[in-house]
Amino acid sequence: MTLPEGPSGPPPLQPLVAAVDGAHSAESLVQATQALALALATPPSEPTAVTPEMLDAIRTLVGVMGFNNPGAAVAAVDGLTACGPAAVEPLLEGLDNHNYGARAWAVRALAGIGDGRGLDLLEEALQGDIGPSVRRAAARGLGQLRLETLEPDSRAPVWNRCLVALERGSQDDEWVVRYAVVVGLESLGHSPHGPRPAPAALLDCLKRLAQPAQEATPVVRLRAQLALDRLGPP
Amino acid sequence: MEPETPPPGNAEPISEAEALRRLRQSEDQSLQYYGAWWLGRMRSRHPDTVPLLCQALRQRQPRDAGAGVEHNAVARNAARALGKLADQRAVGDLLDALEDEDDGLREAAARALGDLGAAAAVIPLCRRLASGPSVAGAPQINSPKLQEPCEALIEALGDIGVATPAVLKVIEPFFEHDRPLIRSAANRAMLQLTGEPRWGDRLVTLLSHPQLQVRRAALMDLGAVGWRPALGAISATLAENSLKLIALRGLVEQGQGEPDTEAVLLAMDELL
Repeated sequence: MTLPEGPSGPPPLQPLVAAVDGAHSAESLVQATQALALALATPPSEPTAVTPEMLDAIRTLVGVMGFNNPGAAVAAVDGLTACGPAAVEPLLEGLDNHNYGARAWAVRALAGIGDGRGLDLLEEALQGDIGPSVRRAAARGLGQLRLETLEPDSRAPVWNRCLVALERGSQDDEWVVRYAVVVGLESLGHSPHGPRPAPAALLDCLKRLAQPAQEATPVVRLRAQLALDRLGPP
Repeated sequence: MEPETPPPGNAEPISEAEALRRLRQSEDQSLQYYGAWWLGRMRSRHPDTVPLLCQALRQRQPRDAGAGVEHNAVARNAARALGKLADQRAVGDLLDALEDEDDGLREAAARALGDLGAAAAVIPLCRRLASGPSVAGAPQINSPKLQEPCEALIEALGDIGVATPAVLKVIEPFFEHDRPLIRSAANRAMLQLTGEPRWGDRLVTLLSHPQLQVRRAALMDLGAVGWRPALGAISATLAENSLKLIALRGLVEQGQGEPDTEAVLLAMDELL
């Protein structure tokens, strides 16, 4: 994507951070967060290292995810996802073990970034988190780790860890988590750095989730069948 | 949309036999309460389940403050469980409960009759609502409740699906009710009964209401009806993704036509 180069480059971040900190209504928080996220997502005309100002802005977005304001949290996730790897450490450091909503948004951001450093957290979240929204986001993320950012030798083992975690997640009690497992399995199956064609273990798990005898929720079965169709004949 | 009623305190896993035993005894109401909840939640198919739940529904109980159980709590939970079990033998006792003086029990009975699609309930439901928003829909003194549990009564009429002019005429005045949740219930019922797009459009408008509670209710209503033209608006609603996913599941499972199932599934993927 080519962006027009303005004379002044991306807007300075500090006033935008101050606007988020000073927001006094739900609506003004949404607007201030959107403005900050957009500024962070606008790449500078020349690549630069992460500045302290950027790090401060990233931490501010991580904080917004704990405010129980879905509109602002969506904007924060978008901004953090666009930041990519630079947002991973602040996200891992900022996790709040007592706020399920905030954890779900953080896991979503990590899932979107797809950085290998998030793998431990995604595995742990899918297996043991008490919040279904957190397990759901983790399942999706386990399907879209960016294997190309890893050393070639570690790609296959990481891919396998994702598959094992998703197979285990396919037994979850909540339909929405099993739905997310289906989506995770499909994207894992399409992963350009994973085994081709998709291995039988992955397809077998999807086939179980497509069968009325094994999966009670119609929408999960329909999604599993769609995944099998799109992964093509074995 | 009815919130799942959690069991009080004692939530350890139990067997079906244990749930039946708890419901069968009558010394400890909190055990009965949990037994009734369990049998509905687990969709028990045991031959004793429906008769025992009907018996619990007939047995009105005074409030037992010591047990932490409110007035008629066991009967209410029995009604909810009977709604989940979809057994027509329960209709007679639920119709009786619809005439009880406890409005909480009437509410639970109405929802269960809606779940059962009980056409026999249409006339009594209409009779409860016939006095309109200014009487049936008037607030009780010193309480946030209305004289009649209007939201449950109206939603039950929509779920049962008998679309006679008399039923539509009873629901229509509730579009003028002060409370957005009642207006939303009336909209939902009219959409179920007539399938006319204008009722769906009005529910879609409520998705951008300033109050989160109203937006949430409209999401649940559109999902319950499976109104697929709302797909884009549901995705864009400012509300929790968990609720949007439940609404979109309803579009897949209850809805038909355009947008097609695959389009709804892919919209769900974006919310995970």
